[in-house]
Amino acid sequence: MSQTKVLLVDDEVEFASALAERLQLRNYYVHTANNALEALGLVYKDRPDVVILDLRIPGMDGIETLKTIKKYDPSIEVIMLTGHGDVQSVQEGMTSGAFEYIMKPVDIGELTSKIDKAQKKRKEG
Amino acid sequence: MTENNKPSKKDKKSFLYSLMNLLRLNALFNTSGSDRYKGLKIRIVLLDAVLSLIPLFIVVTISYFWFQQILKDDFRNQLKWEIENTKQSIEYFLDERLSTLRFITSTYTYEELSDQKKLNDVFIKIKKEFPGIVDFGVIDADGIQRSYAGPYRLQGVDYSNQNWFNEIVIRSSYISDVFMGYRKIPHFAIAVKKEIPEKRTFWVLRVTIDVETLKKYATSINLRENDDAFIVNHNGILQTTSRSHGNVLETFKNFTAVPEEKTSLKDFNHSKDDYGIYGYAYIKNVPWIFVSVIKSTPYAKIPNIFRNELFYITVLSILFSVAVTFMLTQTVVNRIKKSDQEREVAISEIEHSSKMASVGRLAAGVAHEINNPLAIINEKAGLMKDILEGSENLEKNKDKFLVLLNGIFDSVARCRTVTHRLLGFSRRMDISHDLTDINDAIKEVIGFIEKEMLYRNIKLVLNFKENLPRVITDKGQIQQVFLNIINNAVDAVEEGGQIEVSSDIKDINTIRVLIKDNGVGIPKDKLKHIFEPFYTTKEKDKGTGLGLSISYGIMQKLGGMILVESEVYKGTNFIIEIPVAAKAVKGGGL
Repeated sequence: MSQTKVLLVDDEVEFASALAERLQLRNYYVHTANNALEALGLVYKDRPDVVILDLRIPGMDGIETLKTIKKYDPSIEVIMLTGHGDVQSVQEGMTSGAFEYIMKPVDIGELTSKIDKAQKKRKEG
Repeated sequence: MTENNKPSKKDKKSFLYSLMNLLRLNALFNTSGSDRYKGLKIRIVLLDAVLSLIPLFIVVTISYFWFQQILKDDFRNQLKWEIENTKQSIEYFLDERLSTLRFITSTYTYEELSDQKKLNDVFIKIKKEFPGIVDFGVIDADGIQRSYAGPYRLQGVDYSNQNWFNEIVIRSSYISDVFMGYRKIPHFAIAVKKEIPEKRTFWVLRVTIDVETLKKYATSINLRENDDAFIVNHNGILQTTSRSHGNVLETFKNFTAVPEEKTSLKDFNHSKDDYGIYGYAYIKNVPWIFVSVIKSTPYAKIPNIFRNELFYITVLSILFSVAVTFMLTQTVVNRIKKSDQEREVAISEIEHSSKMASVGRLAAGVAHEINNPLAIINEKAGLMKDILEGSENLEKNKDKFLVLLNGIFDSVARCRTVTHRLLGFSRRMDISHDLTDINDAIKEVIGFIEKEMLYRNIKLVLNFKENLPRVITDKGQIQQVFLNIINNAVDAVEEGGQIEVSSDIKDINTIRVLIKDNGVGIPKDKLKHIFEPFYTTKEKDKGTGLGLSISYGIMQKLGGMILVESEVYKGTNFIIEIPVAAKAVKGGGL
């Protein structure tokens, strides 16, 4: 079974790098991006299977980034990260095509199970 | 509640106004608590009672006097009718006597009646029919009584020099005043003249009648206690004995001339106890006036039955109207009370929801600020755990662990900053006097919101004057003012907008902070409201409408001020002037 390609987008470099390393230890292929433009560049260049996207990132609104990714390739699944209980933007994200959302701080088991589910859905769909 | 008692201009409602003032209806708006409703109740009851009872009293009084007048008129008509009846019966009595005499003079000749025996026969017959006749006499044209029937010896008496005889020579009949005459008892005379045309002479038949008979007719009118009825002649000499106005042939003191044609009634009021009505009626063909004195004037005192009824009706009406007033007042006051309570509840709900909104905003901000470092700690600790679980050789990973642990400490420090800042904001109700560097205070505030500005691509320009004098003021409160106004600026600008914060020295006593944005601006009609509490143009749940009013209050308390200038689509400038030494005001809530 090939590795799932994950793109992790978060403006907190420390957070992104630590989480990326943990995911790599769990046998995922991970890229990180710290802002929206970088993220979109990697989506184009690398074609990730699953994008983990912080809703509050500089450069472009998280929701806008989500919409752009889904427009570019609807088969890429997006899991939203949110730092606080911003119910409104979570709802907006879900209606804009996000697969799931997860609250910060992240439980690694919960995150990997959601990534796997997203990947499974991709393969079935 | 504001003072409602301002003197009004002269207006049409000034009557109502003064009535309200009289009852101090206005004043009750200034009292408070349950006393206020009690006072309101009492005054409404009073006002209503006055308004409803005045017409009641007017109606009762009018109907009382109206009824009295009706009684009076009724009584006087009744009295008049009785007087006329009595007068007519006296006239009838006299007419009857005259007719009888005429009948006798037509039936018998002078010669027959001159015969003493014949006259006696006739006298006895007549006396049987008409009691009260004292005697009969036949007088010739020379005034000599030719024959006489009666209890006295009066045959041959010469009447030719007496007035009545001279009168009868001219007229056909004559009725005299009452007189004593030869007999020394009061009586009056009726005489009828019989002409003998063929002999060109005449004779006279004369009867005298006892006054007692006349009196019987006079007093046939319905008399009550203290009333009186009698006959006087045109000179006021009593013709019959009265109950309380003198004996026969005495003078009636209170006699006044009245018109002859009709019965007249005259009120008199000689003293407090001596009042009533005189009734006068002229008797036809005689120089007599029938007089009645009525002192029992029942209308002067309205009958008790009516008075009692009126009293009961009045009392019932008062009770009814008072009861209705009470019920009405109860309802009205309860309504007012209820609506007051509802208003209070509504206000406290607004206060609560605005408090909740600001708490919610704060909570969301804090959650975001703390969650990010927490997430970093979570990941770094998780990574360390992952490494520990997957590797036997700890020494190899020592440097990596140190890096990760430093990252964790950094994040903890970030959390600490947030919590400290939060504590700084919570101490803000009492004025404290801190030696404050305004530039530092602004920087701390900006630390709170720069993330938000960053996300929204808002450009922040700081233009601080170096070496500002430090001011003695309440740092926490002044920071809240900065936060409120910068927050508003953030809300006002579009994405990619610009906010400029600058500080300067205005004069030796004042520092001036300018917060300038290039946002939507505030229209002129809204500009004058922005410092009012609960005035907001933001969406529901986003603004409480309290921020600027609280800021305004704080600046007043600290002896400074907030000025605003704005132009639509160009931006808004808030100028905050802070005194170098805060006003020595005792602390207190906003």
